[in-house]
Amino acid sequence: MNTRNVFRKSLMAASAFALCLATNSYAQEGSDKSDLSKQVSSLMPGESNFMMAGLVTFGFVNQSTSYTSGGFKATDKTNSLGDVDRYEFSPMFLWRHGDKLLAEFEPSWDGSAIGVNWADVSYFVSRGLIIRGGYIVLPFGTYTKRLAAGWINKLPSDPMGVDMAGSDFGVEFEGGFPLGNMKWSYDVSLSNGFALANDGTITGVGINAMNNGKTVTGRLALLPLSNSSLEIGASGLVGSLATPAAATFSNINSTDTKGPSLSMYAVDLNFLHNINPVQLNFKAQYSTAAVSNMNYINPADTTSYTFTNSTSSYFAQLSVRPTQSKNKVLKKLELAMRYVNYTAPKQSLWGQNYSEVDVSLDYWLSWRTVLKLGFENLKSDGTTSFTNSNGLDGNSTSINRLIIQFATEL
Amino acid sequence: MKISAKNFTAIALVGLAALGFIGINGCVEGKQLAEKNGMKLWSENCQRCHFSPSSNAFSNEEWKTVGMHMQSRALLTSNERDKIIEFLQN
Ligand code: HEC
Repeated sequence: MNTRNVFRKSLMAASAFALCLATNSYAQEGSDKSDLSKQVSSLMPGESNFMMAGLVTFGFVNQSTSYTSGGFKATDKTNSLGDVDRYEFSPMFLWRHGDKLLAEFEPSWDGSAIGVNWADVSYFVSRGLIIRGGYIVLPFGTYTKRLAAGWINKLPSDPMGVDMAGSDFGVEFEGGFPLGNMKWSYDVSLSNGFALANDGTITGVGINAMNNGKTVTGRLALLPLSNSSLEIGASGLVGSLATPAAATFSNINSTDTKGPSLSMYAVDLNFLHNINPVQLNFKAQYSTAAVSNMNYINPADTTSYTFTNSTSSYFAQLSVRPTQSKNKVLKKLELAMRYVNYTAPKQSLWGQNYSEVDVSLDYWLSWRTVLKLGFENLKSDGTTSFTNSNGLDGNSTSINRLIIQFATEL
Repeated sequence: MKISAKNFTAIALVGLAALGFIGINGCVEGKQLAEKNGMKLWSENCQRCHFSPSSNAFSNEEWKTVGMHMQSRALLTSNERDKIIEFLQN
């Protein structure tokens, strides 16, 4: 073999090797590029976004209850790790399509049953109009829709009577607008409404309406200060009440064919004020519900009776947090105090005058996680003036509760 | 409920007046309000209900979702929502 041949062969082998290397490495680079572009495109915002949020509230409750009835007194003490009124595990699903559609679903477990807080879809029609349909939180008052979450509520329990309206199947229209340097908002819904129960209380009718009447609910709010620190709201709810098939109540005037009806009103207020180094927050809501007068049957002795069916409730709450304090522990502490009053119709089977004083010392681990040490004193006096199977007349109950509660938004 | 022609006219008039009022005044943002930037609006609006979230709590796409969600909870104006979300996205 001559050297030229060897040289030529090695040159060819080297070129083939180089070519092979080049093409392979090029191919390698090519697939790197497509991997990279795949990765980049997977990070690029798509039209849709699915997000999971939600809340968990858990705690310890020490409760002492004293009953007084007909001169007898009994006391009962319990200690429980979590209880049905204060335990909640609610994942919340949010689906967004572009910037127009948002679906929200919040199932909720209270330790004994799974329910649904809301399941609806919102369409953001224009800058001042959102239309929502499905199982919605009725725009009555401010508490249920805006303040009820365990990590938002500064006290461990919900105030009695705020859930008078709750959630219902319907459609809703809402929006917020500037008004010079003030702002205002509207929130109106049309929903299936409620039915009247045999004791005069109201219950939701659910997905299948029982009558043709619909319930209209609405809230108008004004934020008169340019820094949005004050919000005043007024709400109303009117509708006819459905009469269930097993109803034992009847019209006062037997020739009258009109069924029962419901009207409710509420006013609410939320005010935030900073006086260095503390932040003060005052929240209050007053609501009342009236059902047209009907004749009811006492289940104990089948006699007929009537009463003025109006219920009212209010709460007022003040909280103080030294948000601007230089002390790292102090600035995370908040003290909240609340007074609650609830009056159920006198002479109804559930008639009572109820009041509650609550205090809680909260430690904020973050903007959405809080540890509360709460004390609650509840008093209830029955106001039924005749004997019946579960008469509350002359009965009074007093409850003291100590609660340690952890609440977080997921 | 049957709506009589007279009642209908009254309702329609009230409705029109309300629409007119919204049309004329509803969208006019005063100078003080218009000049607020996203950070200012974030620091003023959210804490009425709950303490203000930090911007690193969610991704940019999630902030868009939260923005729509909170616009409906707090009934923020659309301008406020846009400015706040732009501030929270990083
Ligand atoms: C009117 C009361 C209210 C105001 C004001 C408010 N929020 Fe909320 N926020 C809520 C409620 C209530 C929830 C709990 C979820 C629910 O009930 O839908 C919540 C939940 C959240 C969550 C958890 C994820 C989610 O979307 O539910 C984030 C994040 C949040 N808010 C951010 C904000 C920001 C940012 C602002 C200020 C622009 C703000 N919120 C103003 C009431 C309010």
